[in-house]
Amino acid sequence: MRPLALTVFLALVLAAPLAAAQPAPAQDPHAGHQHGPIADQHEQPGAGPAAAHAAEGEGKGFENGRGAALLFWVLALATVAGSIFVVTRRNLVAAVMGMVGTFFALAALYAMLYAHFLAVIQVLVYAGAIMVLFVFVVMILNRPEDEPWALQGLLGKALAGVAILYLLVRVSGVLWDVKDSPHAVVAAPRPQAIDTTSVGVLENPIQSAQRDDDWGSTRSVGKALFRDYLFPFEAVSLVLLVAVVGGIALSRPHREAEDNNE
Amino acid sequence: MNEIFYKLTVSHFLILAAVVFAIGTVGVLMRRNALIVMMSIELMLNAANLTILAFARYHGGAAGLEGHALAFIVIAVAAAEAAVGLAIVVAVFRTRRHADIDRLTLLKH
Repeated sequence: MRPLALTVFLALVLAAPLAAAQPAPAQDPHAGHQHGPIADQHEQPGAGPAAAHAAEGEGKGFENGRGAALLFWVLALATVAGSIFVVTRRNLVAAVMGMVGTFFALAALYAMLYAHFLAVIQVLVYAGAIMVLFVFVVMILNRPEDEPWALQGLLGKALAGVAILYLLVRVSGVLWDVKDSPHAVVAAPRPQAIDTTSVGVLENPIQSAQRDDDWGSTRSVGKALFRDYLFPFEAVSLVLLVAVVGGIALSRPHREAEDNNE
Repeated sequence: MNEIFYKLTVSHFLILAAVVFAIGTVGVLMRRNALIVMMSIELMLNAANLTILAFARYHGGAAGLEGHALAFIVIAVAAAEAAVGLAIVVAVFRTRRHADIDRLTLLKH
């Protein structure tokens, strides 16, 4: 079980630096709408391969190029594999660890959709708080069960070693870049004007003109949350209060519930 | 045909969310451990969030940010649901010494 959890940790370690490296292709803000795949799939079926070749030749390193697509497929694979892992485990701790890996991959996907604030919230709330809650409950009611199949022994250790080595390499690479230029790991501003015929999800077709550079950041989401959505926000605080009170009331031992065994 | 592999559209994210939601549904329906069922519910909520954020990204602008606010509220409600649900699981386990939802048939008869 422990090597399997480490295998999930490998997926987690793979997902996190890739997500951190994702905004890096946006450093050239003008390359995006020039070489992007701008062909509409439904309206111009013939223009697809040409745009694809353009993206293949010149579009490397920009946000809707092949790097982003490869990142998406890796993260999608991690998400689906982690979900299947969670659903098929007998061991609860392994399932929780798989869930944490899945949440990290989902947070990276949120970041790909420019939901930076929600990616951070996902990691903090889901992978942090909720999964710690699950681990506590597993600790309370854990009974050891047999594993259907698991990577045992040397393979799991080798995977864990590769994961840790990869983590060290990536972290040292990031730190090296920071020493060179302080803005190398910071996301560049988004492209301002985008071709309106674009249908790529990473390029916005509808309201690109009035969109801010920090769309999806903490500032803009906070504006939406505290202006238009202030009442739901406060209602959610009430829901959380009720949940806290309900959790305490439910988990407190009741004397009259003791004789209630089916 | 090959371009679906390297040209991202909103459909990629929607299909991924649908797949994750389906896996979560399978987990809710097939597993008997209450904790696994709750984790599958969390998976389904995350798939819904991914759908919301994909559409928010596709739409953009202020309306897209409203989608972000909605996803934020979904996360908060999911946290509340996890707290209450885990408290229920702990209470059930305390009285019955198991958390097998197929054996919790008190309301069935």
